[in-house]
Amino acid sequence: MFGALADPTRRALLTAISDHPSATATELAAELPISRQAVLKHLTALADAGLLDRERSGREVRYRVTPEPLSDAVSWMTEVGGQWDERLAALGRQLGGPTA
Amino acid sequence: MSDRIEREVLLIASPEEVWAALTDPAWLESWLAEEVELELRPGGDARFRDGDVLRTGWVEEVSPPPARDDLAGHGGRLIFWWAASGEPASRVELTLDPAAHEGTVLRVVETRPLELLDLVGLPLPGTGGAGYGPALVAA
Repeated sequence: MFGALADPTRRALLTAISDHPSATATELAAELPISRQAVLKHLTALADAGLLDRERSGREVRYRVTPEPLSDAVSWMTEVGGQWDERLAALGRQLGGPTA
Repeated sequence: MSDRIEREVLLIASPEEVWAALTDPAWLESWLAEEVELELRPGGDARFRDGDVLRTGWVEEVSPPPARDDLAGHGGRLIFWWAASGEPASRVELTLDPAAHEGTVLRVVETRPLELLDLVGLPLPGTGGAGYGPALVAA
């Protein structure tokens, strides 16, 4: 399950969906700097990993983050990961190194 | 099973310099949290304050970078546990590895155990390292 979260685009997508429940692939593609095609590919991977629920609504499929406790794991990883990105960027500036 | 995040960063500094940045409170307060107290021994107390958030915890492992002719297999490792009030504790593992051109790769792994059994064998807070996981499980 957590392998599906290794990709930063997928984490960004999950964050976008948790901020915007019942989003469609078209709506998500408008929020992120990737194509609708790429969004669909990531949504499929996330749904297959059990992190997203799909719901058909007319011609569209709407996505939402799977209820607790999985979404708790996702928000923990998104929040903690973001905190470390900031801390490591600060450490890199202190030590004068490029951050990778 | 545990929740886990992992990050790696290349720093243009020797393992000894990065180790100082990980263990000297004056350095730590420039990047990790606004106020840091870290007792550098297994079972030692740790305290981190950032704005309104206070995290407390304990130190699991302190392994400074080995001398250059040593073959320890890593360039230093610091492991501590921390938790904000009312939240479950998570484990932070900071590992250094020497890189080319006097650089150092710092790897951060933060994990949050989801089951009590994951805590077996680890020093518990406030016991000076004398109490270990099995006591917790037996409780």
